[in-house]
Amino acid sequence: MIETLFTTLLSGVVLGALYALMASGLSLVWTTLGVFNFAHGALMMIGAFVAWTVSEGLGLGLGPGLVAGVAAAAVLGVMIEFLVIRPFYGRPNMLLITVMTTLAVMIILEKSAQMIWGARLKQLPRLVEGDVNIFGAVISAHEALIVVIAPTILIALWLFATRTAVGRSLRAVGQNQDAAALLGINVPLTFALAFGLGAALAGLTGVLLGGIRFVTPSLGVEPLVKAMIVVIFGGLGSLGATVGAAFVIGLAEAFLVLVVGLYWTPFALFLGLIIVLIFRPNGLFGRA
Amino acid sequence: MSRFLEVENISAAYGSVTVLRGLSLHVDVGENVGLFGPNGHGKTTLMRVLSGLMRPTSGKCRFDGKDITAIRPSEIVARGLVQSQQGNTLFGDMGVAETLEMAAFTKPARNRAAETLAYVYGLFPRLAERRPQRAKTLSGGERQMLSIGAALMCAPRLLMLDEPTLGLSPRLKEELAAALKEISKTVPLIVVEQDVELLLSLSDRLYLIEHGEVVREIGTENTPDTAEIMQMYFGETAQ
Repeated sequence: MIETLFTTLLSGVVLGALYALMASGLSLVWTTLGVFNFAHGALMMIGAFVAWTVSEGLGLGLGPGLVAGVAAAAVLGVMIEFLVIRPFYGRPNMLLITVMTTLAVMIILEKSAQMIWGARLKQLPRLVEGDVNIFGAVISAHEALIVVIAPTILIALWLFATRTAVGRSLRAVGQNQDAAALLGINVPLTFALAFGLGAALAGLTGVLLGGIRFVTPSLGVEPLVKAMIVVIFGGLGSLGATVGAAFVIGLAEAFLVLVVGLYWTPFALFLGLIIVLIFRPNGLFGRA
Repeated sequence: MSRFLEVENISAAYGSVTVLRGLSLHVDVGENVGLFGPNGHGKTTLMRVLSGLMRPTSGKCRFDGKDITAIRPSEIVARGLVQSQQGNTLFGDMGVAETLEMAAFTKPARNRAAETLAYVYGLFPRLAERRPQRAKTLSGGERQMLSIGAALMCAPRLLMLDEPTLGLSPRLKEELAAALKEISKTVPLIVVEQDVELLLSLSDRLYLIEHGEVVREIGTENTPDTAEIMQMYFGETAQ
């Protein structure tokens, strides 16, 4: 019994780490541009596929594959910002327009992936082989590494946003575009940077996820829904709240699977989300 | 004398509402210029156009001999034309020190950042006391100081201040006025201000702006006193 609980706890932490990585990219784009990027999951999927092509297709190994996957997602992110978001800045209904354009990009990317890589299931190699035994509960070393990598990346992201000039300019643009421009910050460039960085985080998540799940054109769909729950639950905005919410959702999901089963878990999560939003409209950790 | 800033026949509109109607003015090298006139007659819009936040429908702005009408705000700041906006809260979730450090964003500004920061804290000791405090928790006067301080961090060659004392208590106003006087010794200013006395003490020349046009230019030779200016403001009957 204790062992089952501990295994569930561990799998919740692994999920939380993945959600945190993914939701932080979504949150970064939201806080800087005010755009909810529905193509975020598709960028994850592209990252995983490109990594697969370089690693397995070309046989170059996972290291170059990881780099290529993250880079491809980042480049694609910058292109998406330029092509389907930039034309709509300043429009009063920009939020709605970009919901549609990023949804369109999601569909285009998924169908393209289907055409390019086909429907056959693919799997990425794991970062490290073998298992890790933690107090009797066994998880793969790959998953254990994810639990280490995710917080490291997130701390780096936090340091970037608070300690570096470019990172601070990103936050400044998110809070007051005109005032940021008046300090000499190039606002359009900052938008592109935020989107590229968010996409890179999506790509990284995709590559990590590809070692656990099969890589398919719809790889990003379910994680996107979870990441949405995370950012809404955490209160759109701060990185700390997003990360906190990611682990809450990850753990909740792991335990819900144990208690109510896989089938009812999404239902229970959304129910929880609705209840939280009724009592705390700005999210669980959100400020009024 | 050579022209530092030249505004030529600028017109600007918000949608179908025209705000500036062929406005022209200039700032010569080494002088401070004041703008005054009733609210809603285009002073702030002129500032937005000069900073590149808004495209004029026609006309030209030249700064230091170069056309700045169609370039990006960040590029205008990099060239040294900097603005402190009216009632600006800057970045609510950022601390005072963080905001000021970040404000030195352009290359020339970064090179002088440490020096300027010391100057700003010397000018506004209140900001030095509130280094870690978030901008949204500051009082109106402190926000104004932060906004001006941040503008100074950009290494301005010409600084535009839009109603720096708006809504401040008399005591704070005095404090700020002294600081502005100090700033004007090192950086030329364009000041939009409702407090006529302060405006007269800061500027070498004044423009009265009404209905989006310069209706009167007041030079150094025949500087009017406060009463006369008040009359221009409120018309002949308001005595």
